[in-house]
Amino acid sequence: MKAEPATLNAHNIGAPATRRSSFLTAAALVVLIGAATPLWTQDMPFVLILASHAIIAALVAVSLDMLTGNTGLLSFGHAGWYGFGSYVAGLSAQLLTTEILALVLLTVLATALLALAVGSILVRQLGKAFAILTLAFSQVLYAMVFIASGVTGGEDGLQGIPVATVLGLQIARPEVWYWVLYGTLVAVLCLALWLRRSPLGKAWLGIRENAERAQFIGLDVFRLKLLAYVISASLAAFAGALFVLVNGATTPETLHWFESGKILMYVVLGGVGTIVGPAIGAAVFTFAEHYVSSFTDAWLIYFGALFVVTVIVAPGGIFGLLRPVWARCTGRSERGAA
Amino acid sequence: MMLQTAGLSKNFGGLQAVAGVSLTVRERTVHSVIGPNGAGKTTLFNLITGSIKPASGTVKFLDQDVTHWLPNRLAEVGLVRTFQRTSIFRRLTAIENVALAIRSRRKLNYAIRMSRGEEQEIRDEAAALLRQVGLRDRENVTGGNLAHGYQRALDIAIGLALRPKLLLMDEPLAGMSRGDRQGIADLVLKLREELGLTLVVVEHDIGMVMRLSDVITVMQNGRVIAEGPPDAIRENPDVKRAYLHGSFAA
Repeated sequence: MKAEPATLNAHNIGAPATRRSSFLTAAALVVLIGAATPLWTQDMPFVLILASHAIIAALVAVSLDMLTGNTGLLSFGHAGWYGFGSYVAGLSAQLLTTEILALVLLTVLATALLALAVGSILVRQLGKAFAILTLAFSQVLYAMVFIASGVTGGEDGLQGIPVATVLGLQIARPEVWYWVLYGTLVAVLCLALWLRRSPLGKAWLGIRENAERAQFIGLDVFRLKLLAYVISASLAAFAGALFVLVNGATTPETLHWFESGKILMYVVLGGVGTIVGPAIGAAVFTFAEHYVSSFTDAWLIYFGALFVVTVIVAPGGIFGLLRPVWARCTGRSERGAA
Repeated sequence: MMLQTAGLSKNFGGLQAVAGVSLTVRERTVHSVIGPNGAGKTTLFNLITGSIKPASGTVKFLDQDVTHWLPNRLAEVGLVRTFQRTSIFRRLTAIENVALAIRSRRKLNYAIRMSRGEEQEIRDEAAALLRQVGLRDRENVTGGNLAHGYQRALDIAIGLALRPKLLLMDEPLAGMSRGDRQGIADLVLKLREELGLTLVVVEHDIGMVMRLSDVITVMQNGRVIAEGPPDAIRENPDVKRAYLHGSFAA
């Protein structure tokens, strides 16, 4: 009788270690393949640019998942922050400096402050009210672009952004941009996953699961939601800043509700609350959008259908579909839902 | 005094749900609140625990005025409640449900890292709490997959993880089988004896209330109509009138 718990223990201690190492190997492999993209796309410069845009989309998708996946707050206006970031960084590049680190820092700070103010009103709302208000706020930002068209360029957008620099060196070549973006995405994913596993991340999950009880066990639901909102908005604006610097221009479309809808689709397609899933969803969407829309103008119909099918057939998204495959590869059954 | 309410009132539209209730709960007692449906028990409960705000009156906890405090602040000072309809984190494992409350008590809600030692400590404490409420071997079952009786027990374990001074239990026996009822009742007594907890219990099972309670408060139409030890309550004519159809047979 006494031997049994001992063997069980040995098994339990061994299991996570194997899991961990096979996970790390797989992750390292994926990271390496991704980093090598510029090497095999030398004859296809456009693919590399598309890949760069896919990475920016992935960053925005992760930012929304930081809010929706972690706390359950559904934002219909996340493009507002993405576009806001692109305008702040674009204008700053024209007026202040071309140093990318300074631009990004400035954008994130400005966004965090505004998101703190806006968020402290919004996150008190629940469910649909929150979603509608995020949409309304993003449309206010959209309207501001046209009201302040003297500064923002109105419908034409912000054109002629100077080339970004790192300590005076210009980032001009597409493959350098790609590596900058790719490195950023890997770092952001690691950070987001680390946050998810931290006590803070688990407190957020508690709110997502049962906000009422969370408050009764001492969690300050308002402050925790606000924190998630500010982080999420700042990350979206960060992606917007990278977008305007890579692209050399930005337009009001970046803050339009249609863009918000796309970001939401990335997350749902990839798998809400899985961090990595939404990034995959964004990449798949970006490539598919390009190639499908070159065949047909009606691509949105197909994407709409895909969205509906995903929600019904695979509510866990692409990540949810991959999970059993991964489990089979490592010979381990799925753990309880995270 | 552990808990003291004075002139606590709340109305919903024209209905006076709680009308000037003054309640005093002494330390290390099991204090039950009973009364027919619609007597205002649950509303009183919600007023004390910060779920809803009173129209008038005050709530004092350990001689500190806590009227209008939010539930998370009340939890920090040791005023904790459990729920009539089981309120757990359904997609988290049983042990993670309890660990969440322990981390909250240890003020780790904003922490972005935790030492391995601390993590282990929390795990051990959570496992011990689960054993205490009879959930040994069910640590890694997700909350939503537990049987109803075990979910109630988990709900209590989450509350205990906060190391409460006062635990308010809203119908802890509702919807439970006879065997499970006995288990929870034993647990309530054990909490008072071993942990020195003070418990306020709203419960419909009169037989159980009579056996468990040190003091019983009887409510009707939002008011207190009687208060005293079980034997006195059993013989009280006002109480007998309130419960016309002999629920007091037990």
